[in-house]
Amino acid sequence: MRAVSTVRVTFSALGKRFGARSVLKGVSGELRPGYAVVITGHNGSGKSTLLNLLAGVVRPSSGTIDYRAGGTPLPRHLWHTVVGMAGADMAVYEELSALENLHFFARLRGLRRSLGELEKLLCELGLEARDLRRPVGTYSSGMKQRVKLAQAVVHEPPVLLLDEPSSNLDERGHETAADLVRKFRPHAALAVATNDPREMAWGDERIHLGN
Amino acid sequence: MFAKEVRSELRARVAVNAIGLFGLTTLVAVAYQIGPYQIHEQDRPHLLAALLWIILFFAALSGLQRVFVKEEDAHTAKTLRLAARPLAVWGGKLLFNVALLAALQTFLVPLYCILMGMRVQGTLPLVALLAVGCLAMAATATMVAAIIARAAGSGTLFAILAVPLMLPLLVMLIQGTRMAMTSPAWSDILPALQGVGALAGVTMVTSIYLFPVVWND
Repeated sequence: MRAVSTVRVTFSALGKRFGARSVLKGVSGELRPGYAVVITGHNGSGKSTLLNLLAGVVRPSSGTIDYRAGGTPLPRHLWHTVVGMAGADMAVYEELSALENLHFFARLRGLRRSLGELEKLLCELGLEARDLRRPVGTYSSGMKQRVKLAQAVVHEPPVLLLDEPSSNLDERGHETAADLVRKFRPHAALAVATNDPREMAWGDERIHLGN
Repeated sequence: MFAKEVRSELRARVAVNAIGLFGLTTLVAVAYQIGPYQIHEQDRPHLLAALLWIILFFAALSGLQRVFVKEEDAHTAKTLRLAARPLAVWGGKLLFNVALLAALQTFLVPLYCILMGMRVQGTLPLVALLAVGCLAMAATATMVAAIIARAAGSGTLFAILAVPLMLPLLVMLIQGTRMAMTSPAWSDILPALQGVGALAGVTMVTSIYLFPVVWND
């Protein structure tokens, strides 16, 4: 049985400006293990930006983000080791196969997963074994989404950030994404940015952005 | 990271095609117009050394600058940022650029020597200079490519930033090559070799400190 993570992410008064345009203003909250936060808001309200800030790939213009592992502050350069993220503006390598992509991202994270383990994960996310060795560039958008989800969870992250995880997925795909959330929810801190009512139901708390 | 770069390049062949075609086209044009007999004997070391590095320099620039831009264009940069330590990314990209440049030199320099009738007295010193020059050029190009990756008009910006950084390097490489053509002695090429080596070292040390900031912000 997987241990419950001790990583907590507290963010307060977060703001982000791109030039003169303010995308986020005064957003606060907490991600903690076993708890799912759903972020909603109209298009352009800053849902993806908030996830990017929480993942550490974008710096906030104002406010603070505090990662703590077992009560000890985690420096920013180590955040990526505890975060898994799948977003609309993230992609995997189209010239590589799903298996090669996953193997590459696992190795980058210092993991030594066997091909069998990686195949199992990809199949759990709904990809057929016969598709795993052809280039991702030949995949449908739904299949690419499944590979993106796989790279987000290959290291079993204590903090999982999902940006519209069911986008491009059919009904079966939506169920797969829901299973993934159910699997991670008991031990990881989860944040899901979405406007899909079915995904909104996954959350214990809702942060609504914009007016 | 390096293995992924090689695998991706072997499948897409974007950089190899750009560098190879540019290098070959320029070499053939130069060889056709100038050839081995159009240059006076006393001018040969100066002109042949300069032409060789001009061809290598522009061929290299056409491919090396894409190394980070392609990640931004394909939206893989963020996935990479979340999975890897910045120095692992930099190291992999640098190694790939070194390999690409080494392959270009291996292919182009012997062909250049044949087509242009370039005779080298100090073969080993020239090989050493090519190797150190390859490292210095790749290190500079990799860092500049990282800086310009997220900018609009990155191609122009690359040239604006890379040319002043590479100019002293080119001057030393041309001087060293000229010396290798006229003398077999290591002592004659040593100042150029040391200069290029120092530039490579400074660029790499600077990159180790600068790259994480550029990559993450």
